[in-house]
Amino acid sequence: MKKIWTGFLFVILLTAAQFLPAGLLAAEGGKEQLTYRLKWLFNVSVMGDLYAGEMGFFEGANLDVTVKEGGPERDAIRELELGYADFGVASADQVIRALSKGSPVVVLAQLFQVNPLQWIYRPDRVEITQVKDLKAKTVGVTFGGNDETIMRTLLASQGLSEGDVRIYSVRYDYTPFYRRKADLWPVYVNSQGPIISWKLKRAGERVAFFDPSAHGVKFVANSVVTSVRMAREHPDTVKRFMQALLQGWEAAFKPENSKAALEVLSKYDRDTPRPILEKQLAMTRKLVKPDDSVDIGTFDREAWQQTERIMLEQQQIKAPVGVDKVLIQF
Amino acid sequence: MLPRRIYQFLIIFLLGIAVLFAVKYLFGLSDYVIPSPADLRDTLAAVYKHYGADVASTLSVAIIGQVVSIFLALMVGILGRQTTWFGSFIKVAAYNVQAYPIVAIAPIIFILFGDGFFSRLLIAAMICYFPILLSVLGIMSEPVKEIEHFYRVTGRMRWQLEVKIRAFENLNKLTTVISGSATLAMAGTIVAEFIAANAGIGYSIRIALYQSDLSKILVALFLIGITLAIYQGLLEAAGRMIGKGVTVTR
Repeated sequence: MKKIWTGFLFVILLTAAQFLPAGLLAAEGGKEQLTYRLKWLFNVSVMGDLYAGEMGFFEGANLDVTVKEGGPERDAIRELELGYADFGVASADQVIRALSKGSPVVVLAQLFQVNPLQWIYRPDRVEITQVKDLKAKTVGVTFGGNDETIMRTLLASQGLSEGDVRIYSVRYDYTPFYRRKADLWPVYVNSQGPIISWKLKRAGERVAFFDPSAHGVKFVANSVVTSVRMAREHPDTVKRFMQALLQGWEAAFKPENSKAALEVLSKYDRDTPRPILEKQLAMTRKLVKPDDSVDIGTFDREAWQQTERIMLEQQQIKAPVGVDKVLIQF
Repeated sequence: MLPRRIYQFLIIFLLGIAVLFAVKYLFGLSDYVIPSPADLRDTLAAVYKHYGADVASTLSVAIIGQVVSIFLALMVGILGRQTTWFGSFIKVAAYNVQAYPIVAIAPIIFILFGDGFFSRLLIAAMICYFPILLSVLGIMSEPVKEIEHFYRVTGRMRWQLEVKIRAFENLNKLTTVISGSATLAMAGTIVAEFIAANAGIGYSIRIALYQSDLSKILVALFLIGITLAIYQGLLEAAGRMIGKGVTVTR
């Protein structure tokens, strides 16, 4: 009987431990234990996060950071509020939407200077040099997704309406693009771009990418976020975390560290062939550090304001949120 | 029975919402994590027509999918009731098809049939049919000895008669399974729409998820639940009427 009760108590304790808020437990050696929730699965878009963890940058800052994969059903901002994560990655539209609903969130760094969300197309089939070239084309759009917002903004910027293009509802696979049912298809240019390009190249086809930011639409992508409470009550932890994280990102994209970065990446992204990973890494470098003079993590405040303006115009938020006020560079 | 189904659903849903609000106010969570009552009310007012039409579209596919799956399960169940090699082969094939996760099969379905009505129907039927099949196999494999014995010894037993005897003797079980499978058919259709369709409430839920809008999802859940409660109530009523008809005939 005693054994049964001991076993029962053990199960209860084990279950209770699962519900302890992130960061509450102190790791061995006095390191602070933190949880960092990413926006998406482990791939090249989180290169710096993985590198910081694997190459000991967090450890050097006396931090024990658990980097957790994201996914479509994950929302880092919600997890911050619920205490399941201490830091997270969220896109600008998520941040602005959360602010509009009173979520106490602050942004610590902008990881991507250029939004990786672009449209792939076949230059032999369509020629897209300006937004007006989209007229009468079949454009893939994920209804409810960032790409819908960006495409609507692009069209409106040139006085085009939705009736001027044929919208094709995007799902999770690329079959409609492969089968030429759509002329343009939204992709993450750094992660999906090299894979699709490679596949089509094998089939003897050329591809090109339509970049909205080259046509004046700057919609901010992934950024590091934390809660107002964390920033206010533990500024030292936030500072150490951000320094370690951004050092990791900078180091991962230094040409001399390419080999090490690829090793780390291939450990987490086992399904992608090495030559593709190399291309993904080079492509990502251009998006997070388009210019050597720009430090990774720098805020493009104008882009943030534009993102808010776009969401306001498209009635995704009811009133301005003043996103500028929550961009805090530690 | 129908009003009872509806108010039982309302009690469950309202309890769920009450728990959510309790968590929200107890832990001081923002409207982003759990929407406020006002937010929920505004969302309901804004989307109920659009979502209502979506639920109706989903339900129509679910009903057809359920009919298809009942038909399919009856066919497979009748063929698989025998202890012959063919009966066993049918059972193995039916079980194996079910073992594949629908998200893995979905791309093949969409390549073959596109992302329109037929794909939604097929996925709904695939999700719905297996539990019905298990029940049908259970019922059809179990002889009703006291009745079947007479026909066997008199040499008048045919397979059609065997199926009829077993079906009529287990009518209550069958109607319960069919009524219960409505939930699966609806869930199957929503999964299909969520994965890839461009219509129905599953598609709207996917969009709401992209926009991190929990209030829209809660409204969708409410409409799905109430519609399903009505549909199941009607199925149960129809089952009872059939049962009474059979008793009178006897």
